Amino acid sequence: MWHSHIWGGMIEREMKKGSAELLTLALIEHQPRHGYELCKLIDSRSKGVLRFHVASLYPLLYRMEKRDLIEGRWVEKAGQRRRRYYRITAEGKRILSSHRRSWKEFMAAINRVAGVQNA
Amino acid sequence: MPDWRQEIRDRLARLRLNPAHEADIVEEMSQHLDDHYEELRSRGMDEPAARAAALDELRESDVLARELRSVARAATANMTLGQPSRGRPFEAVWHDVRYALRTFRSHPTFGIVAVLTFALGIGACTMIFSAVHGVIQRPLAYPDPSQLVTFWGTAPEKGLPEVDSPLGLYAEYRERTRTLSSVAAYDTRGATLTGSGDPERLDGAMVSLDFFKVFATRTMLGRPFVRGEDAENAAPTVVLSHSLWQRMFAGDSSIVGRSIALNSRPTTVVGVMPPGFDFPDRAQLWTPLYVDANNFNCWCYELVGRMKPGISAPDVAREIMTIVDEFGLRRRDVFPDAKRGGARIVAMPLSDRIVGDLQRPLLVLLGAVGLVLLIACANIANLVLVRAASRHQEIAVRCCLGAGPKRIAAQLLTESLLLALAGAVAGLVLAFWGAHLLRQLPVDRFPRMNEVRLDPIVLLFTAAVAVATGLLCGIAPALRVWRVDLQDAIKSGARGSSTAHTRRWSDGFVVTQFALSLVLLVGAGLLLRSYQHLSKIDLGYRPENVLVGRISLPYPKYDTSTMVRAFYNPLLERLAAIPGVSHAALATLVPLARGNPQNNILAEGQVLRPGDPVLVANVRIVSPGYFSAIGTPLLEGRVFRESDDERNPRVGVVDEALAKHFWPGESALGKRVRYNASDTSWITIVGVVRNVKHNSLDEKPDLQLYESFGRLATWNNYMIIRSTSGPEMLASRVRAEIKSLDPTLPFYDVHTMPEAVRASLGIRRLMNTLLGGFALTALILAAIGIYGVISLSVTGRVREFGIRLALGAQTADVRALVLRHGIVLAAVGVAIGIAGALYLTRFLQRLLFGVAPFDWPTFLAVAVILAATALLASYLPARRATRADPVSALRSE
Repeated sequence: MWHSHIWGGMIEREMKKGSAELLTLALIEHQPRHGYELCKLIDSRSKGVLRFHVASLYPLLYRMEKRDLIEGRWVEKAGQRRRRYYRITAEGKRILSSHRRSWKEFMAAINRVAGVQNA
Repeated sequence: MPDWRQEIRDRLARLRLNPAHEADIVEEMSQHLDDHYEELRSRGMDEPAARAAALDELRESDVLARELRSVARAATANMTLGQPSRGRPFEAVWHDVRYALRTFRSHPTFGIVAVLTFALGIGACTMIFSAVHGVIQRPLAYPDPSQLVTFWGTAPEKGLPEVDSPLGLYAEYRERTRTLSSVAAYDTRGATLTGSGDPERLDGAMVSLDFFKVFATRTMLGRPFVRGEDAENAAPTVVLSHSLWQRMFAGDSSIVGRSIALNSRPTTVVGVMPPGFDFPDRAQLWTPLYVDANNFNCWCYELVGRMKPGISAPDVAREIMTIVDEFGLRRRDVFPDAKRGGARIVAMPLSDRIVGDLQRPLLVLLGAVGLVLLIACANIANLVLVRAASRHQEIAVRCCLGAGPKRIAAQLLTESLLLALAGAVAGLVLAFWGAHLLRQLPVDRFPRMNEVRLDPIVLLFTAAVAVATGLLCGIAPALRVWRVDLQDAIKSGARGSSTAHTRRWSDGFVVTQFALSLVLLVGAGLLLRSYQHLSKIDLGYRPENVLVGRISLPYPKYDTSTMVRAFYNPLLERLAAIPGVSHAALATLVPLARGNPQNNILAEGQVLRPGDPVLVANVRIVSPGYFSAIGTPLLEGRVFRESDDERNPRVGVVDEALAKHFWPGESALGKRVRYNASDTSWITIVGVVRNVKHNSLDEKPDLQLYESFGRLATWNNYMIIRSTSGPEMLASRVRAEIKSLDPTLPFYDVHTMPEAVRASLGIRRLMNTLLGGFALTALILAAIGIYGVISLSVTGRVREFGIRLALGAQTADVRALVLRHGIVLAAVGVAIGIAGALYLTRFLQRLLFGVAPFDWPTFLAVAVILAATALLASYLPARRATRADPVSALRSE
């Protein structure tokens, strides 16, 4: 159990941070994507609940790139402007799987406490 | 299509990014905005609205710049969203501090216990450090104090560790030294001030002309002594201390040039020293010393010099030895046995000399208090560790959510640093109070203790100790963050309050505490036993109900021995007649008083071969009633009688040690001694008395010769008054009797002998009190430590105990299991502690009396005390373990 009255502010921020990473990694797990595409996918798949602004998305991507979780590469296609695509690295895969497990446990714990069955 | 590039560049401008990097970012983001704009347009939005909506993506321009800056700067950083950036370290610290404060508010008990423990440890440490700093480290308050040096001769083979200088030798040093820029001789010599109310005895010194020059200190008013004022028959002059000038003359600046009555003689005040100057021994006035270069009678002058730059005390000692050797070879009349290399001189910095015997006890106390602090740290580290263990799950959740281990470790360290700093603030209050108590100690027994202050250096020390202990206590839990297994942590639920790893650390802390406590307890025990031995020692006299005080008859008002006796003899009769007084006597010195007149002693028939040391004995001149008054038992023969005067043969009384030295196995009675070979006046021994502890309680018996006041009248004497009860009530009666004989004479330095005995043990009592207090604190902390650890262990194993009990284990088995854990920890700690104590108690050796550093009864007693403490502290958790309910234990899973 955590003491939400103590941990409140901090957890909210960390949750955002952790979840943003999880979402990004999950979306590029099977195919490389560019930033705008990531934004659209998060928006559409979450039915508009989750949204990323340019101001927060790109810093997140650059940071994950620095941590070797993802790799960005400029790709030119005939008749199109070049775009920067991001693909997941081995380390990114490892972190993604760890995040998934943790979230699963975490959600299960939340559910147990909150009394929500089979969430 | 709008061009977004400039908009984006404007927002990145502050970052001063690498141009290529910036170009990439601008391109990527502007593309994003293009896509967004086109999409909005395709949905039918008009151009200005679509442009505004796209730019809205950048509206948190600050966020963009900030987040990008952190990425740009963190080369390999493990940064995540929401983490305060490196560019703003104070924000991170401030964030951690606020968070820690919230944590403490929600768990006040933990915070209070930790802060109090820190306060105790850091406060005690600060107090002792302030004493060490004030007494040993802080320079003396004179210009260039490190250049001040003092030196003296030594002749241990004669039993004379310290031999002061005659004026003849001082004159030689002054003439020939090349290592000292100036050197002065002085002798502490009080004076009686009369003329304003009751006569008052003032501490003072007779000083050679160079005295104030050595200290590089000018008079505040008037001038120092000038040549001619130190001549043999010069008109008396005096320099006053600032405090005396303020107290007796109300700071009147016209005092210079005025005449005051000192020792019943008109004396001209030539100067007043600045505040704080009171060398030697809190002197209140200085008079000029007549330096006769041919005077070798009184080896009683102390020397102080100022070294030239680059010269050290050993250099001075070497030079002075050469000067003495050459002088001795030249002046056979003074040094008949002189040979090259025969002189031995000790020189040491004046500051070391002033601190004297206090240095070692203070350093031992500093060591002891350091151990207490370490024990306190181990306790807090354990608390923090246990608490971190109980927050295992929370930490794991934070890690899952993206907080890096560094971040969490920093948070934990911030918490323990905050606790340490809060403890330091509370500790300063404790230290302030402690320093105040230390300043109350009598400054004659505790030199410079009145200078103990919490000055900036002490505060800096406290801050450093607080930071060091804060880090020390927080490091173990902080390191554990890297070992947190997220899966296990989240799954473990309430059960995961202690892991094997935590328990290992905790066990380690308890073992450390017991080891350190043993060292402290053994040290305190050894000192306590020394004190007990000293308290029971045979002093050679009975101090109870004895009042002593001094009278100094001024010369030339009393210029013959007849006049001296004409004053003292009637006084003794009057004192003896006071109701309640059983004996009244006088002596040149009483036990435990300052000073120790000594002389060579040669026994009749003793053959001295060349190179044989001449024996030196303490010499006291006493009135007939002295031995009864002080309570020294007569062992053989008789004590002095009124008839032992100038008209009858010269007789003496010796102590057992002297009798045994010269005439082992036979009676000393009737034997004769003299002071030197050319002396024609023999002293016939008529009595032998018990050995007396003259200078300190822990000294070996000195050889002692007593002579009769009836034969050798002395001007300055101690009065010894034995009463049937309450001697302190007699002082005013004694004063009145003295006043009736001569109203200009003060009765001063008045104290009871039990007070003198107590004062002589002052440093030991201080050591006992402080070291005993530290040892007790250590014991309590160790008890709390082991209780906490066993308790934690029982909590973690409650399911195991439940199952054991369910499977048929007896409660006694479970209890034994828990107790065994406590005992094993204590035993390991005690074993390590014994090894440490065997090494460390050697530093106590010089402070011990009647016990060896390895005194096995002390070691055994301490080990038993610690074992009992461990057993007791483990018993409560053990009892809880036996009540473990298997069903509820399992259900809790």
